[in-house]
Amino acid sequence: MENLLEVKGLRTEFMTEEGPACAVDNVSFVIGKGETVGLVGESGCGKSVTALSIMRLISDPPGRITAGSVLLDGRDLLALSPKEMRGVRGNDISIVFQEPLSSLNPVFTCGEQIREAISLHQGLGRKDSRAKAVEMLRLVRIPDPEKRYSDYPHQMSGGMRQRVMIAMALSCQPRLLIADEPSTALDVSVQAQIMELLLDLREEMEMSVLLITHDLSVVAQMVERVMVMYAGVIVEDASVSDLFSRPEHPYTEGLMASIPRLDVDVERLDVIPGRVPDPLRMPAGCRFSDRCPKRIDRCLLEEPPMFDTGGGHLARCWLSAPTP
Amino acid sequence: MKDENRNNDSLRNDSLNDDSLKDKSLINESLIGGTSLWSSGWSRFRRNRAGMAGAVIVLCLYMIALLAPVISPCDPVQHGDLPAMRHNPPSVAHPLGTDKFGRDVMSRVFYGSRISLTVSLLAVVIAVVIGALVGAVAGYSGGIVDAVIMRTVDALMAIPRIFLLLTCIALFSRSILLIIVLLGATSWMGTARLVRGQILSLRNKDFIIAAESLGAGSRRIIFRHLLPNTMTVMIISATLRIGGIILIEAALSFLGLGVPPPTASWGQMVFEGRDVLLGAWWISTFPGIAIIATVIGYNLLGEGLKESFDPVQFS
Repeated sequence: MENLLEVKGLRTEFMTEEGPACAVDNVSFVIGKGETVGLVGESGCGKSVTALSIMRLISDPPGRITAGSVLLDGRDLLALSPKEMRGVRGNDISIVFQEPLSSLNPVFTCGEQIREAISLHQGLGRKDSRAKAVEMLRLVRIPDPEKRYSDYPHQMSGGMRQRVMIAMALSCQPRLLIADEPSTALDVSVQAQIMELLLDLREEMEMSVLLITHDLSVVAQMVERVMVMYAGVIVEDASVSDLFSRPEHPYTEGLMASIPRLDVDVERLDVIPGRVPDPLRMPAGCRFSDRCPKRIDRCLLEEPPMFDTGGGHLARCWLSAPTP
Repeated sequence: MKDENRNNDSLRNDSLNDDSLKDKSLINESLIGGTSLWSSGWSRFRRNRAGMAGAVIVLCLYMIALLAPVISPCDPVQHGDLPAMRHNPPSVAHPLGTDKFGRDVMSRVFYGSRISLTVSLLAVVIAVVIGALVGAVAGYSGGIVDAVIMRTVDALMAIPRIFLLLTCIALFSRSILLIIVLLGATSWMGTARLVRGQILSLRNKDFIIAAESLGAGSRRIIFRHLLPNTMTVMIISATLRIGGIILIEAALSFLGLGVPPPTASWGQMVFEGRDVLLGAWWISTFPGIAIIATVIGYNLLGEGLKESFDPVQFS
């Protein structure tokens, strides 16, 4: 498969009073054309910062991308001028955020906001861009789109607003859609509909999707490949079936053990003991070493590199090191 | 009520049931009485007695200013027969009396409203436009740009306004345009601070990041996404500021540096009646009452708007 997005050695830091805190460190991955990739991890592990870094939307100060490259079709986004970057945002890469309520401007109608996204990148007149916006509302399955065009965000439900956000993001046929926890803020029943919609649209529009979530069950249904992130680094990268059948990294195993299961009766859910390390005081060796049940001495001393355990299944763990 | 609607909506909308959707939005509209954020504010404003009283006062004043030629009993600048007409007390022919040139005080008060209202309205528009631009640029840019702009604003606020105005009027010729521009140019600092504060709180809102993620540039973000969201604050601040501007305009006229005579202006009328205040009290009193009524009217209106549209209740 041809690569659409290639992220190499990305490092994003935030200035704090105690010095720079590294939210994303040496993150590398690729997304193929038409591929759907999941990025999984607990809150604060750097998922959203990774997404915002790709879009170059990290607010500076306090944040800064200090190393790495983000290649979209071979073009380094980090080297573009602000103006060139604006041409990429919304046009080549779009993002759907978690909170549909606060992601829409309260003083404009939903339709106007979609129209704005269209007119930003396509030289369409008022009438044409309006027609296109109505078309987008129809595409995201909003009933009666002509009428809903002139609704304000507060007149719509959470699920509808998220559909509007998706319509805005997709209005210029981006090649990559980043969905940052698109269903987390919604009711469970609506979550499934939004996910289904995203899946359908991905196929209709032949785009790649980076789905960010903390929910492994969502990942299992939606994506082809999963990256597991922990404390700012990617610790495992594998196809969905590989990841669920033979997780390599102890952190991934811990995540899976903590998913409630219907078929097994347990008193308490498994949890991973300990806490995520403070970004200002990262362990010297493996970042997961202080919580890892399978820790060996080497873990405390040296940070493991990514090992290929076969078939493109990568894991950042000394236990996955090929035996010589 | 809003929450209840939301819950119902999210359950129903997403089942894509067309009919229930229509019902829902109808109920929604009839309950909150309209289709925008403004409508709920208006319905609250209509129940706000002080605000409505202010609105009525201001409206009446504008009607008087507009209809001055129709409702005035006499010409405001035409001298009467002297000395018979000088300092006549209120009577049927001259309900508010006459001044030392025998001119009808009521007509002059009516015509004077034109000066006060025009000057204050135009000056406040200038002030709000400058203030909004400066505040938006400072708030959106942040960092060193923000610091420099806001310290400059602080410095400008420290200059005593009346002295600055007196100096400028003494240097240039006395004209209504100059007074408008000067009043506007010295009244924008408060608005700039207010707008900057608003922009700061809006800048990191998700919808601004969302707009950036769609490729919107900073000018577009400021003018299309940030400033429209500060509109209510700007209108409220403008309304409350108008009272102050009217008072300064009156003070300038009182000092003889306002609109050149014989054009009637309230401040100047108060000044003219000052010498004969005990004998012919009506000359100063009625324009004084007009000034007070205008300032109170605008302040009541502004407070009413503030209570009804306070953005704190929305965010």
